[in-house]
Amino acid sequence: MTIVEILENEWFKKGYKPPRFEQADATLGDPGSVYNESWDSQNLVVEWKEERPAPPIITMNAFELILASQPQGLDLGCLFEKQTLQGFVKRETRFTSKCPATEIISKIERAAKPLGFDVKKSNNKMKLLGEKADRKGHLAFTAEIFQVAPSVCMVELRKSGGDTLEFHKFYNRLSARLKDIVWTEGHEVEETNGPVPSGR
Amino acid sequence: MDSTSKSLFIRSSSLTIGESICAVAMIPIVAVIDFLIFATTNCFRYRPQPKKCLYEFTDLTRLANESRFTVNEIEALYELFKKLSNSIIDDGLIHKEELQLALFQTQYGGNLFLDRVFDLFDEKKNGVIEFDEFIHALNVFHPYSPVEDKIDFAFRLYDLRQTGFIEREEVKQMIIAILMESEMRLSDDLLEEIIDKTFADADADKDGRINKEEWKAFVLRNPNLLKNMTLPHLKCITTLFPSFVYNTGVED
Repeated sequence: MTIVEILENEWFKKGYKPPRFEQADATLGDPGSVYNESWDSQNLVVEWKEERPAPPIITMNAFELILASQPQGLDLGCLFEKQTLQGFVKRETRFTSKCPATEIISKIERAAKPLGFDVKKSNNKMKLLGEKADRKGHLAFTAEIFQVAPSVCMVELRKSGGDTLEFHKFYNRLSARLKDIVWTEGHEVEETNGPVPSGR
Repeated sequence: MDSTSKSLFIRSSSLTIGESICAVAMIPIVAVIDFLIFATTNCFRYRPQPKKCLYEFTDLTRLANESRFTVNEIEALYELFKKLSNSIIDDGLIHKEELQLALFQTQYGGNLFLDRVFDLFDEKKNGVIEFDEFIHALNVFHPYSPVEDKIDFAFRLYDLRQTGFIEREEVKQMIIAILMESEMRLSDDLLEEIIDKTFADADADKDGRINKEEWKAFVLRNPNLLKNMTLPHLKCITTLFPSFVYNTGVED
């Protein structure tokens, strides 16, 4: 019997479902497109991340951004806290940056160490502990990095120990060293080519 | 010797005539303050100042029954209320400047969040927060308060123009407000991108605004959006304001 005859035999046809082969989708796009992508630092970081498992970066929606910034007025806990004679001295400060989180972390570490701080890192949080102690104990901070948009991070520096005024002094010295990663008005001008279209 | 000391005395007393007048005037003022302090420690038994609406024990019990607070907690919150409501205008009512002072440590300035919070506390919309209103609003922030109440309060908070919808413009206004308060910068494009992303997620019917139902679903998917709607301080309010212990009509 030939194969053809077997296929046509009644016995064989009972309960027989002919196999279907999926056509592999060979249209994955133009292979040349890889060379057209803009070679900016964000992509560089993504490639590097693929080699080592990257920590998940928290991305935010508008309401999370509002809450994370802790505007005065939204935090009713203040009603219950002791009011100091000095008035309200903020225990945290924030800035935005267009650099990737990994670069921000290493820059903060490089800036804080010479100022006498021991740095511990974990995911997108850093703990900075001051080596010398004053009357209020060791100065300690946490730095946390949030992804606000694909190319923008928000960095929050919060005091977790020590004197609040010392915190502000330290922050001033630290931010002087972080000028190239902090997004200020000047940087904005570089980014756009002409007037930004307003309204939608 | 005598004449020099006498002249010294005359000279010193003439320099301090203003001060000595003050000293004389202070005595009745100090006496009044003394009386007030003594009077308010007995505020549950009689009314020393008829212009203020002072709360009787039955009012406090009623408020406790209407809320998640115990009578002792209501008493402690009354201490806080008295402190806040008499900080600028001594009338037993919280005016906007007094809420501003409590939250911003200064009675000047302010922001749109303060306006919304004050407006939500002021149920009667008469420009002042009474103790009843204070308790009703703080009740929403109690850890055991229902999530629906918190979701609803947050929605009304962000609905700046009180249209019943959270609109793009309102979200943009709020983000601009927080940027202005800090050193953070965002380009207009990025701002729009963040808002686009938020609305793509929250605005189910794509009408460009978030209604109550959409907000509820959005918050249930992102529960961290309610983190400012719970005040853990409210669970230990009686330890934060212990002076009530001397006034209490109820023993623990």
